Amino acid sequence: MHPINVGVNGIRYERSVEARLLLSDFLRHDLGLTGTRVGCEHGVCGACTVLLDGEPVRSCLMFAVQADGHDLRTVEGLSEDGKLHPLQQAFHETHALQCGFCTPGFLMTLVPFLEEHPEPTETEIREALSGNLCRCTGYANIVRAVQRYAASNPDPGSGSRSTEAA
Amino acid sequence: MIVEGTYPLPGKPEAVWDLLMDPDVLAKAMPGTRTLTRTGPDRYEGTMAVGIGPITAAEFDLVITLTDVMRPESYTMLIDSKGRFGFARGAARVVLVAGGDGTALEYRADLQVGGKIAGLGQRLLDSVSRMMIRQGLEALQRELAARLG
Amino acid sequence: MTSRYFGAPILRLEDVRLLTGRARFVDDVDLPGMLHVAFLRSDEAHGRLNRVDPSAARARRGVVAVYTAADLGDYWRPGPLLVPPPPIPGMVFNPATQVPLARDKVRHAGEPLAMVVAESRYLAEDALDDIVVDLEPLPAVTGLEAALRPGVPLVHEQFGTNLAAWVRQTKGDYASARARAHAVVARRFHYDRGAAAALENRGVVAQWDARAEELTIWDTTQAPIPIRNGMAELLGLRESQVRVIAPFIGGGFGPKIMMFYPEEVLVPWAAMRLGRPVKWIEDRRENFFATTQERSQIHDAELAVAKDGKILGVKDRFLHDTGAYDPYGLTVPLNSQCTLLGPYVVPHYDSEFTAVFTNQPIVTPVRGAGRQHGVFVMERLLDFAARELGLDRVEIRRRNYIQPDQFPYDNQILFQDFRPLVYDSGDYPAALEKAVALIGYHRFVSEEQPAARKEGRHLGVGVVSYIEGTGVGPYEGARVTVEPSGTVRLATGVGTQGQGHFTTLAQVVADQLGVSVEQVQVSTGDTREFGWGTGTFASRGAVVAGSACHAAATRVREKVLDLASRLLELSPEELVLAGGRVHRRGAPESGVSLGELARKANPLRGAVTPGTEPGLEATAYFGPDRGNAANGVHAMVVEVDPETAAVKIRRYVVVHDCGTVINPLVVEAQIQGGVAHGIGNAFYERLCFDDSGQLLNASFMDYLLPTALDVPTVELDHVVSPSPLNPLGTKGVGEAGAIPTGAAFAQAVEDALGQEVEITEMPMSPCRLFELLERGGSGRP
Repeated sequence: MHPINVGVNGIRYERSVEARLLLSDFLRHDLGLTGTRVGCEHGVCGACTVLLDGEPVRSCLMFAVQADGHDLRTVEGLSEDGKLHPLQQAFHETHALQCGFCTPGFLMTLVPFLEEHPEPTETEIREALSGNLCRCTGYANIVRAVQRYAASNPDPGSGSRSTEAA
Repeated sequence: MIVEGTYPLPGKPEAVWDLLMDPDVLAKAMPGTRTLTRTGPDRYEGTMAVGIGPITAAEFDLVITLTDVMRPESYTMLIDSKGRFGFARGAARVVLVAGGDGTALEYRADLQVGGKIAGLGQRLLDSVSRMMIRQGLEALQRELAARLG
Repeated sequence: MTSRYFGAPILRLEDVRLLTGRARFVDDVDLPGMLHVAFLRSDEAHGRLNRVDPSAARARRGVVAVYTAADLGDYWRPGPLLVPPPPIPGMVFNPATQVPLARDKVRHAGEPLAMVVAESRYLAEDALDDIVVDLEPLPAVTGLEAALRPGVPLVHEQFGTNLAAWVRQTKGDYASARARAHAVVARRFHYDRGAAAALENRGVVAQWDARAEELTIWDTTQAPIPIRNGMAELLGLRESQVRVIAPFIGGGFGPKIMMFYPEEVLVPWAAMRLGRPVKWIEDRRENFFATTQERSQIHDAELAVAKDGKILGVKDRFLHDTGAYDPYGLTVPLNSQCTLLGPYVVPHYDSEFTAVFTNQPIVTPVRGAGRQHGVFVMERLLDFAARELGLDRVEIRRRNYIQPDQFPYDNQILFQDFRPLVYDSGDYPAALEKAVALIGYHRFVSEEQPAARKEGRHLGVGVVSYIEGTGVGPYEGARVTVEPSGTVRLATGVGTQGQGHFTTLAQVVADQLGVSVEQVQVSTGDTREFGWGTGTFASRGAVVAGSACHAAATRVREKVLDLASRLLELSPEELVLAGGRVHRRGAPESGVSLGELARKANPLRGAVTPGTEPGLEATAYFGPDRGNAANGVHAMVVEVDPETAAVKIRRYVVVHDCGTVINPLVVEAQIQGGVAHGIGNAFYERLCFDDSGQLLNASFMDYLLPTALDVPTVELDHVVSPSPLNPLGTKGVGEAGAIPTGAAFAQAVEDALGQEVEITEMPMSPCRLFELLERGGSGRP
């Protein structure tokens, strides 16, 4: 058993874990943050995506011990004070989710992407999404959600910007 | 899955043959073999560990039975290996052909692979098995050269 | 009555929970003392199971129990036959259903051999290695044609054959049609296996409360009520002692309507024996073997046509792979058989199929459920016939359509619901014209395509049409209750796997009662809330459950009007339901809120008139006489690189008719998602089994699901032909997108390559297309 100290959505957790415990299992079952989903456990579907120090990672391909000393952000950390993050709101308005299982993974992939590319083209959006699988929506509304978000949250360099960021 | 080829070895067929029957030498010819002991006149048992793609160390229990034994020309190895990552079984025909100062070892193996190894490592099976055979034959060659002086 | 919500693009009420990660899926269920299950599964596809020795596993620390078939005692039995064979004369059917743990024999790779229950999934998986198995491999039966050759190994010895079923349906006299034909087009078609691959794998959690004597099961099933009923019977409990909850489900697509899977049957049994909650969650690799699949068929089909392209008759002989067992009866091949007729007048039809057992995972319906095979065969035959006759592909379809004045149209054969295949309504020519206009077919063929060819670019267009039988019985039910708070509760037995039932069903009820859609709280998939019904499958949820919701809401509306008219001393015609209140027409400030009315309808003093019921509540059921027929046309433009065989989809058009639309957002999204699924089936997804029944691509690394780069945004248009078979006039849409994609794809790619190749197989991967191009033709003899 190994002691680890991990920050998740701004809260620090100290736990003792087995070396082989996957980060996805640690988040879901040890910390009860079940918003992060497990779809394949071999790093392809992207449903398990979380942010590690702001960068998207596949939590099914990491061990909890590897997160020791780092800061994680999961889908539970996106909304503040019960209000949806503007990206979540955009997903809602464009009907970008059906069963919703893959949705947290898409959101966590998109949050850092949109910080780097506040005004992405459709091709750039689809490329950014290509590491996340969805079996329900056929992706079209997810693309629309990103476009809608980008249109109402333009580049900070070009004017006003929502403060909802990483 | 079929793998076949030819490989030159030092020494006359009889000498090569006798060394091939030695479990310690045979073990060197199969990379990843951990243990191999002769448990009968034409039977060997042991364990081996192999890495294929996403599976880093698949452990197998191995049983090899020799049939159609015709010293020093040819024999067939019946291979039956099983482990938590799947199984591999089949037959390998080995023919020794004298040539000059050495012996050409001709082999043809037809293996059926199943379980996780087949399902996850499929694209790599061909290349991994070729690599293992090459490594094994090179090791065999070194071993023969050392023992035969 | 207002129609504020019906037909409106209402945003989904269930989104917030899903977006914030707070929605509960089965793996999110966490109970004190919960144990975890791992299954030992066979690596061999076919074998004699001599011995399973779990003693070393039982001794491992952290392992609470290990069960083999022998440990199940009387509980071990094959599962129920879910769908009986159809009442078709001359039919042959050999029933063989799956077993909870293999005993004596293993019939497909992945079949469970033992169940380990431990303190954690990690420990349970460790213990799998401790189990010693003596499994003698037998030669496996895999190919469809090989399965019937003499001397081949038998999957089920008791039948003396690998034949699972034989069915022939005919209409008219094909032989005479053929004799009169100007041309007969014959081909062999192959359609290979694929997985549903929902993002959420299956899972079961069970908890036995010994004090209350109640069993609660959380299950990723599309059919919680039949599971409740079956499990109660299996475990010797009353139905009222068992509660099955299908919470949020991460995609169904068909395999989750397969019932009494080994794991579903064993986990609750173990929970009762061990007195602790037990959880099993399938991992992705297991899903490739342990969850049902679909699609392998071989068709030898021919089309007899007149000189003007009119269909005289179709003959089809096909083989269907049912896998190692056939618990779902003949639903899939019957769908293929019936859907082949499509929207066309086919005067003579002779269709015969033979289902065979193979040593591969079980086949049950997966989105499309066999319809896509029928569509592929018919659409391809029409394409080849058009070519032979020198007719335009769109024209040959136009000439053969059933006309709008020919409904109801009786196809004179039996459908998968064992009712006659009668189309209720539709306007097939209108759908075709809209699709042709939207894709710009004529301009494409006469201008764009030749212009592109001059530049060395190979563009092609494909236009195909299809029928999708939806909305089958038996029935569904719903209960609507107005609570004193003014909230309207709606409970129905179907489950939800992303179809938006929490919103669409609320829309139906909100309109009837004049409340806002947000005031309607919907409960689906919980047998304690509603215990009568079948499940979500075959594109029937909106039609059947929707109609039941409508009926229940209508009855509550009548009660509201009745009570309000007595209270307010007005006749019902003078009353209006709006804004959550009932008031005199023209005087919105008068009247009473629905909540108040509900309170008054349930007095603590006074009397309730004999013959009436307290409260404002009603339960109603809807059972359609037969299924209805939705239809559509798909058109796509592709660009093919003839050197690399890479295919890019430039445009994708769908014109769809699912009758009256409850929520256009939901309908359009179902089509877009279905098309993505269809594109996967057509070009990327194929389960590759080798001759010994081993699956060679059991992961997403090698079983390729389409990504955002592979699926275009579908351009949509609608035709609305209301169904006379239900009060809403609606038809199903869940599978439509996935059904004709393969046929459209094949036609478009052939067109792009100037018909240098013939595509008669699905899926058509880049590698395979390359091979065909190299060989300069098709696999035809």
